[in-house]
Amino acid sequence: MSAGGHHPAPVSPVEQRVAALEALLTERGLVPAGFIEEITSRYEAEIGPIYGAKVVARSWVDPQYKQRLLADGTAAIAELGFGGPEGDHMMVVENTPGIHNVIVCTLCSCYPWPVLGLPPAWYKDPAYRARMVREPRTLLAEMGSPLPDDVEIRVWDSSAEVRYLVLPERPPGTEGMTEAELADLVTRDSMIGAARL
Amino acid sequence: MSAPLSLPDLDLPRRNGELAFDAPWQSMVFALAAAVTEHAFGGDREPFRQQLIAAIAAQPGRPYWESWTAALEALAQTLPDRPTP
Repeated sequence: MSAGGHHPAPVSPVEQRVAALEALLTERGLVPAGFIEEITSRYEAEIGPIYGAKVVARSWVDPQYKQRLLADGTAAIAELGFGGPEGDHMMVVENTPGIHNVIVCTLCSCYPWPVLGLPPAWYKDPAYRARMVREPRTLLAEMGSPLPDDVEIRVWDSSAEVRYLVLPERPPGTEGMTEAELADLVTRDSMIGAARL
Repeated sequence: MSAPLSLPDLDLPRRNGELAFDAPWQSMVFALAAAVTEHAFGGDREPFRQQLIAAIAAQPGRPYWESWTAALEALAQTLPDRPTP
């Protein structure tokens, strides 16, 4: 397998060293095809949203924290040490048995970066942006989350001013779990509202 | 698909919860360390972690991903020679 034919020529000493490592380790058979891309995307998908997951888990175990979170998302998220310019005005919207929330950005790809990391590719897709507003129930079903007809769907259009975070319902049967265990259950897509837990 | 790899005890640099990569070589060297950990050490993170600790201790002011690179170079030195066909 040839190593790195698609990479630009290294320019700095450290880039040269990394390219040499890539060549060496690939030659040793330690870097299977696609491994680098898999690792990178896995971290983008699974590590980024851990802060949001911690916020959700805390709200599940601490009713007073949940009250603060719903009243002032930015401040409550900052309590846990998370925040930043992209999350200046965070509004947390709570799913209930009768209400399902989902976030979208119809204009671009505004997204609660400080708690969810990088947005998934489909979030930036024009079809998602348009259809989640026009036919959210159909699109959610297509994405694997069919909702009963009596569940109201609320679509929140993110903007530069306000970023939304969906607070999913705590799954049944998790009463004995610790906060950390609960955080492990919370997926990125559930905090976008594109999936249920 | 292999088991999810995780290096949580390495105190990775992050911004807003996201791994902080400023250049493609940084994400490349990160993933290379994961590749070696998974495929040369059966998922045991400790060999690389020890090299990283040593690399950071050797030059505490060095940029993080350069220490990471040095650690991976040192780890590569410890790999057994490739069997000759």
